[in-house]
Amino acid sequence: MASFDKDFSGLVAIVKRDCETCRLLEPVFQRLAAERRLQIHSQDDPAFPASIAVMDDRALARSYRLEIEIVPTLARVESGSERERLVGWKRDDWRRLTGIADLGDGLPAFSPGCASRTVEPGLPEKLAYKFGDTPLQARRIKVAAQQDEHELAHERGWSDGLPVVPPTEERVLRMLAATSRSPDEVLGFAPPDLASCTVEKVAINAVMAGCKPEYLPVVLAAVEAALLDKFCMHGVLATTYFAAPIVIVHGPIARAIGMNSAHNVLGQGNRANSTIGRALQLVIRNVGGGKPGGVDRATLGQPGKVGFCFAEREQDSFWESLAVERGFGAEESTVTLFAGGGVFPVGDQKSREPESLTRCLALSLRAVYNARIYGATDALLVVSPENMRVFRDAGWTKARFRAALDEALTVDGRDIVAGAGGIAEGMPLKLAERRLSKFRPDGLLIVHAGGGAGMWSAIITGWGRSGDHGSVPVTVKIRE
Amino acid sequence: MFVASNEFVDAAATQGRALGFEPAVCFVEHPIQDRHDEEMRALADAAFEEILESLVAG
Amino acid sequence: MATLLDPTSELQPARRMALPRPASLQGKRVALLDISKPRGDVFLDRLQDRLTAMGVDSRRYRKPTFTRVAPVELKQRIAGECDLVIEALAD
Repeated sequence: MASFDKDFSGLVAIVKRDCETCRLLEPVFQRLAAERRLQIHSQDDPAFPASIAVMDDRALARSYRLEIEIVPTLARVESGSERERLVGWKRDDWRRLTGIADLGDGLPAFSPGCASRTVEPGLPEKLAYKFGDTPLQARRIKVAAQQDEHELAHERGWSDGLPVVPPTEERVLRMLAATSRSPDEVLGFAPPDLASCTVEKVAINAVMAGCKPEYLPVVLAAVEAALLDKFCMHGVLATTYFAAPIVIVHGPIARAIGMNSAHNVLGQGNRANSTIGRALQLVIRNVGGGKPGGVDRATLGQPGKVGFCFAEREQDSFWESLAVERGFGAEESTVTLFAGGGVFPVGDQKSREPESLTRCLALSLRAVYNARIYGATDALLVVSPENMRVFRDAGWTKARFRAALDEALTVDGRDIVAGAGGIAEGMPLKLAERRLSKFRPDGLLIVHAGGGAGMWSAIITGWGRSGDHGSVPVTVKIRE
Repeated sequence: MFVASNEFVDAAATQGRALGFEPAVCFVEHPIQDRHDEEMRALADAAFEEILESLVAG
Repeated sequence: MATLLDPTSELQPARRMALPRPASLQGKRVALLDISKPRGDVFLDRLQDRLTAMGVDSRRYRKPTFTRVAPVELKQRIAGECDLVIEALAD
C-alpha cells in the first residue's frame, strides 16, 4: 500500500505537533530539511515544524497509505521504494539512516514516539472507507441530499417495522473488524430465496439491527445455525404457526458482551439480547427474501419474531447447562437455535417438594400446542432461580428432574385420542391403548434463567412440526 | 402445475418472482385441514376441469 | 451525501419459461405429487380416480415433508417418469 512518487529519493517523515517527541525533534527536522532532501507530513498542524516546508496531512491520506502507526516515523526512500523505516527517536539509528554523524547533539539518546492519529479509536474504519481498497462488495446505494436515510430503509423494505441503523461503509467495516472471518466467506444459503449469505451481508444486517461489533461472532454463529438443513429455516419461516428462531447463548462470550440472563431475561432492555436475534431475522428478511405476507405465512405470529435471544444463567445454576447437555464444554461459547412460538408462564408458589413442582410443570407442558397432541411439538422450559431452589434443596440433578418429568408427561392414549371428551382434535384412534409421551426424545430443552425473585418458570412452545420432518434444535460453536 | 388454497395467492406470487418461474396454479377454497373426506373430494371435483386445462396448450 | 450498503441478496433471478404444453393428455403420463400436508392425499386420490376414468395414465409421488423443498432425487425421478406434474395441496 505504501506509495511514494516513483522518482523521489530522500527522507520522508510523518509527525504531529501533539507528540512530545516530535516537538523535541523540531531542530532535527529543520536540519534535515536544510541538509537532505526531506518530505515532511504533519498530521495535525501544517505550521509544525516551524520555518520549513511541511505537507498538510490533516486528512491523513498519506499517513493511512504509508500504514503509519507511530509518530515520528522516518523512512528512507530510493526511487519511490521504501528502504528503511524508523519509529520514535533513537539517536544512533537516525544518525546512521541520515548519514549525519552529529544529528540531535544535545538531545536524549532515546525518546518513544506517540500513536499516529490514524489509529485513534474509530478512525481506521473511517480511513479504510475514505482512502483504502475496501473489501466490501455490496451494491452502494446513494442517499440523495433531500432524502432521509432512515425513511429510505423503510421504503426499500429493509426494516421489520422498527428503525434500522443506516448501514454505511464505515459502520459495516467497523462491524467486520470484530471477526477474523473474511467478508466474502459464504455461511450458507438463506431461505426462502436460497441466496448465498456472506459474512459481509450478515455484518450489514447486524449494523441495521443495532448490534455492537463485538456481537458479530454470535450473530454469525446464529446465522450459520439457522442455515443448517436440520433447523429447516424455510419451514420455520413459511409456516402459518408462531415459530421463529430463538437464539440461546452459552459460554464466556455471553458474559463478555454483557448479555442478560437474569431479570426480565426474555424481555426488553439489553442491547445484545435485543439486537442479536433481530440481526438474524433481518438476514432472513433481506438476504433470504422472507417477509410476512410473502413466504412468511404466520397466521398470528408473536412479538419474538422481531428477534428473540437470551443467555442461560450459567454462573449460579445447580444444573449443567443446555449446551453441556448437548455435548459442548462449559467454557465453550455456543449458540443454540430453537424454533419456538410464544412464552407461556407457569406459576407455582406452593410447591416446596420437587415431586410437586415437577408434576405442576408437567401439567402446563402437556398443554403445549394442544393438550391433545403428543409427540409433535418440542418445548423449551426456562426454570427460574426460585423454582430451581426447590430442586437444589432436594439435591435433584437435572437427569433426575428429567426422569420425573418424563413420567409425568406420559399419559394413556385413550384420554387424548380424537373425539375423546367431545373434542374432535386429538391423536389417531389406533393409539387409544398405548401410553403416549408428550415430547419426542430430545424434544424438551431445559435452561436456567431469570431474576432472583419470583416463583415463575416459562414454557416456550416449539413449532408444531418439530423433529426430523420439521425443525430440530441445533447448536453451533461461536468462532471469534 | 400446482394446487393451493386461496389463502396462498400472495405466497405463490412472491415465491414465483423470487425463483423467476411462475408455474400454472389453481386455487381451491380455504380451509383444508378440518375438511371431511367428502368435502375434499368435492373440492377436487370442482377444480378438476381447471387443472386439466392448465396441463394442455390452450 | 451518505452511501449505504445494500443488505439484500441483490439477486435478479433468471426468468425461466415453462416447457411447451402438449395439445392433449393422450399418451401422456401425469405425476401427482403429494406435498405431505394433511388432507392433500384425499384430494389427490380423487384427481387420480378422475384421470383414470378418462384413460389418462398417472403415477403418485410424495415429498418426505412439506416443510422442505423436494429432494433433487425425487424431482429427477418425476422428470424421468412423467410428462406433466400436478402438485397439491398447499394450504
